[in-house]
Amino acid sequence: MNSPAMTLQTPEAVTPPGPEKISVRNLKFFYGANLALKGINLSLYEKHVTAFIGPSGCGKSTLLRVLNRMYDLYPNQHAEGEVLLDGQNLLDPHQDINLLRSRVGMVFQKPTPFPMTIYENIAFGIRLYEKPSKSEMDGRVEKALRGAALWEEVKDKLHTSGLGLSGGQQQRLCIARTVAIKPEVILFDEPCSALDPISTAKVEELIDELSSEYTIAIVTHNMQQAARVSDYTAFMYLGELIEFAGTNTIFTSPQNKRTQEYITGRFG
Amino acid sequence: MTDMAVPIDASVQQTVRERSRALGSLKTADRIFHWLTFSAAVFVLVLLGAIIISLVIGAWPALSTFGFGFITSERWSPAKEIFGAAAPIYGTLVTSLIAMLIAIPVGIGIAIFLTELCPPALRRPVGVAIELLAGVPSIIYGIWGFFVLAPLLKETLQPLLIATFENVPVLNAVFAGPPYGIGMLTAGLILAIMVLPFITAVSRDIFQTVPPVLKEAAFGVGCTTWEVVRNVVIPYTRVGLVGGVMLALGRALGETMAVTFVIGNSHNISASIIAPATTISASIANEFQEASEGLYTSSLIALGLLLFVITFIVLASARLMLARIQSKTGG
Repeated sequence: MNSPAMTLQTPEAVTPPGPEKISVRNLKFFYGANLALKGINLSLYEKHVTAFIGPSGCGKSTLLRVLNRMYDLYPNQHAEGEVLLDGQNLLDPHQDINLLRSRVGMVFQKPTPFPMTIYENIAFGIRLYEKPSKSEMDGRVEKALRGAALWEEVKDKLHTSGLGLSGGQQQRLCIARTVAIKPEVILFDEPCSALDPISTAKVEELIDELSSEYTIAIVTHNMQQAARVSDYTAFMYLGELIEFAGTNTIFTSPQNKRTQEYITGRFG
Repeated sequence: MTDMAVPIDASVQQTVRERSRALGSLKTADRIFHWLTFSAAVFVLVLLGAIIISLVIGAWPALSTFGFGFITSERWSPAKEIFGAAAPIYGTLVTSLIAMLIAIPVGIGIAIFLTELCPPALRRPVGVAIELLAGVPSIIYGIWGFFVLAPLLKETLQPLLIATFENVPVLNAVFAGPPYGIGMLTAGLILAIMVLPFITAVSRDIFQTVPPVLKEAAFGVGCTTWEVVRNVVIPYTRVGLVGGVMLALGRALGETMAVTFVIGNSHNISASIIAPATTISASIANEFQEASEGLYTSSLIALGLLLFVITFIVLASARLMLARIQSKTGG
């Protein structure tokens, strides 16, 4: 790795780093023979929001997909290195993947409600791990929907299809579904790119609220969004981590010239 | 900005005229195209109507002679010119039911394996094999069924079924009688093999339409492959699946050649699925040659009309079922 380009700073005093929830150590990722991540080192701090920015194809979504091993679904993709979740390497082949994904939830770029009712969309995930009674389940569903600021809009149509909601509502439903399983980490892969500004604002607000309970990683193309929602920002370029620091530092006094050019819109 | 009409440049007017003339000829072509496609569509309707009408005319002597008894009576006696279609109707429905009971789970199972679980290296060979299975002519299934499968079943599966369920109420009637080899079970098995490629190919194609991100989302909440298939892939593709199954059922109901070989061609209604029976299309194929003019021929045509009606009812109820499911889940 071109070390001179790397500027790992201790995050600024405003947000003292919590314990590391996820530590990425020298992570390499391959699509077939193509090296997409060229040795990434960084940490996600517990109950903080970390944003990943960078031009298309820089590997930020790839990195996210390593954190819950989504890439496992595709036979010609593999990762090398270490990703520690609470000190345990989740790239270990013996890692229980279903368990991992219950601990590391993911919200996708496009809303992905399951082809079932709104209620079932939430209850389905819960039922994978627990068998709550009917009334308990009702409570869990309501709590999850309230948590995603969706309850008021859907409480009268819980038993209609989740596909009937608007795009923004669907995305909040997906967040509710993810939260309902009580993960420890939530990964957001450009969660607002298909949403209108009002829905975007709601989702951003939600991410902010969720950060008091969850460790959050968000990939975004929208630099204002990264600045608004995150505590830490990682700037990636061509499969390398160029700069990782507190969000304020990245956006006000980036150490690397490329970072500066990217955030000021001179390339990307 | 201004509500005054802007004077139009003469050259602009000229261009507009030229363009509208050019478009005019395009519009004529458009109209011709419209009528061509429209008459193609009408042709299908006319053809369908003509077939129905000729069936009804041909079947009329039999239907008017036997009335409603034609579909309720089991008796089929060419010598006495008494014809009842209950046995072939029963045989048609039972063989198709057996075929679907076997082919639906196996076919969808293969499709799930091919799309979700299969190692990429195996995907193509298995897929091609399935498609080849669809290309085997039905006469080949027929002779294979008669010379290979039926004797095999006679020696193995049928005695086993009879012995196993001998003392089980209900089931001992379903699997009763001497193992002839030929009969409804054998016909059902042959039909299952014949419709399997349809169900597999259609299911595989529509399973591939499930957006990867939706599956990822389901895996993302920690689902296993089975849970993803059961809760996301199948509900998402439900409409297409039912469509594929109905296509297969339509084929099973009407399949003639292979069934004629192995059904036994006996106008009997038996509770036992091992017993020889007949189906509508097998009866027609078997007896058309020997049918004398008049009531016999007319009865065979009436059988054809009945098959038409049964197929229509099956398709219509499939539509109805889909509409119900859709209104329940909202899509």
